[in-house]
Amino acid sequence: MSSKVTPDSGSDPKGFWSWLVTNKIYQSVFGFLLGTPKRQFFLLAFIPIFWALFANLGPLLKMLDISFYEAYPLSVGKESSYSLAAWSEFFQSRVYYIPFFRTLAFSAALTFSALILTYPVAYFLARHVPQNRQMFFLLIVLIPFWVGEIIRTYAIMILLGNNGAVNIVLKFFGLIEQPIPFMYTSFSLSFGIVYLVSLYMLLPLYSSLEKIPSNMNEAAADLGAGAWRRFWKITLPLSKDGITAGCVLVFLISTGFYATPVILGGPSSTLFSEVIANTFSVAADRWPSGAAFSSIMLITTLTLAAVFLKIMGRGGKGLLK
Amino acid sequence: MIKKLITRRKLLKTGAAATTILAAPSIFIPAYAASKTVNVWTYANFLPDDFKEEFERDTGIKIRERLVDDQGKQFNLLVAEANSPTADIVTIAGHRFRQFIDSELVSPLDVDRLKNWDKVNTVYSEADWTLVNGQKWGVPILAGAEVLAYNSDIVSAEEARSWDVIFSDKYAGQNAYIMQDFMSIVMLYLGYDGNMIGYDQAKAAEAVNAAKAFLIENKPKVRKYYDSGAEFQQMMINQDISLGMAWSGPVSKLIMDGFPAAMTIPKEGSYGFVYNYNVTKNGPNSDNAYILLDALLARPEIGANMTKASGFISTFVGSADHLTDIERAAGSFTQEELDALQFFRADNNELKYSLLDPAVEEVKAA
Repeated sequence: MSSKVTPDSGSDPKGFWSWLVTNKIYQSVFGFLLGTPKRQFFLLAFIPIFWALFANLGPLLKMLDISFYEAYPLSVGKESSYSLAAWSEFFQSRVYYIPFFRTLAFSAALTFSALILTYPVAYFLARHVPQNRQMFFLLIVLIPFWVGEIIRTYAIMILLGNNGAVNIVLKFFGLIEQPIPFMYTSFSLSFGIVYLVSLYMLLPLYSSLEKIPSNMNEAAADLGAGAWRRFWKITLPLSKDGITAGCVLVFLISTGFYATPVILGGPSSTLFSEVIANTFSVAADRWPSGAAFSSIMLITTLTLAAVFLKIMGRGGKGLLK
Repeated sequence: MIKKLITRRKLLKTGAAATTILAAPSIFIPAYAASKTVNVWTYANFLPDDFKEEFERDTGIKIRERLVDDQGKQFNLLVAEANSPTADIVTIAGHRFRQFIDSELVSPLDVDRLKNWDKVNTVYSEADWTLVNGQKWGVPILAGAEVLAYNSDIVSAEEARSWDVIFSDKYAGQNAYIMQDFMSIVMLYLGYDGNMIGYDQAKAAEAVNAAKAFLIENKPKVRKYYDSGAEFQQMMINQDISLGMAWSGPVSKLIMDGFPAAMTIPKEGSYGFVYNYNVTKNGPNSDNAYILLDALLARPEIGANMTKASGFISTFVGSADHLTDIERAAGSFTQEELDALQFFRADNNELKYSLLDPAVEEVKAA
């Protein structure tokens, strides 16, 4: 029996593509789309613009829209009209503005704490760990961040609970007789959030510290500047971009934390995110309030971030120049 | 004979085409709407795993389960999906029926389609609250109560006879409660009716304000306002708390698991509730919903397994016979305790929650 080998079109690499490029419809469509540099630019920009508009800006605009409804979600057959009631509700009750200001103050304090705690780590990593081992050390620092926020929050519960590792160690060394109630306090909440946001502070700081040429410090030392003076006059100003980026990032993130305050927070540390969430979980048409409160928080945090960026300045201006 | 060569490019193209054809139904028909599925929104552990496996094997219908932990959140999700819900069955507490019915989110229950309807204990299936607008709306599945739960190694049964213990200096910082639910109990504790039956606006406001002031005064003594049964179990196991108000189901589970926990209905009273499976209006697979509900009622062992998994008391006739003595004891109350128990009622819910929801937020913010 003889056999005959027949190559099909799939074995011919030019088959489909040569058919495509000679296809009249393809030629006319792409001839039009790529016809001018302007059209080429719009074609290239389409995906990022689409992403920014529909994935980022779209939900925010929808939230803003809902915030002006009188009631939402609407039951079958009911209609809603536009109203400013949800926005004015915020200013009428301390139930809302107290957690709001508490959240802002709390986030500012946490941002400062995170900066103080992570700066030495970033400095050590960037300035004292040999360059060929920095990635390894960075990897060690990053390992906890490979798991989700909730898992890490529960890890903190295991650490700080009455039966947790910290109390067990303190008891073992005879330092305490009764467990210290760390959990469900402002301490456990602060500890948890600082731990969760530390990476967002560490990476910009490391990035800026790592770029500082070592010979600047050497030159300053040769000219008689002490360690503190070198840090104050060279290292700190040159790491300003990292400090600014880290602080803005941590502040914005920490104002929006929801799961961690719910799990670690206590009765006296209710944050604004919990107040917002409550408006969505009670069985009533209160989404406009939640949307208005979210918008107020968004506008406030962005304004504060802009003011902070202005104060810090760029290129030798502002604080830490 | 012609021998065809399969090149790598051809293989990839064929594979891509085959994947597209196979995936096409799920692209054009969402998973929840596929004819061989039933979509259930329910609490964790309400549908036992062995029942789900058996049901899927016997009927070929896949159960798509979405966990909920709060009646209000479930209501909002369902309202947001309005005319085309992705759920066929939702889990509604009896006292919340009216809200879902008034919003046209659930369908009346056609008991004629459930040949095992008589397997539901008549205490539940024929109770007054099951009838709204002259129709039945849900299949009662599990019953529970809001209880005073405590660590029996630390708190004595004598101390736990009254809600006073939660507000005592002795256990300050060692208790927790669900604010929304506890408000009704505090109203009862202070001599008001937590169901607000027959209350007008002024009387209802007086009751809520009294409860709010009392809870704000006692705020320094509370360790945590929590939301879910799992949270309460976690705090008890970690010994972060010694007592608190809790749903009976999660506490029964702790007792079944051998934790030194106990629960009681204090002398001032508390509230009971019954969870039901309700068929949604315009759900994608209502027929499958009825098949699932009938299968659930078929054998008392299934009810017993639901009790073992959730800790709540099964409403099915004979299910208790399939529990061990410890499992039965974990969810039972004395006659004295049952006398102090009343069921949540929905009669005045609109007035009640219009006052209660802002009050809860005020206590939290205080």
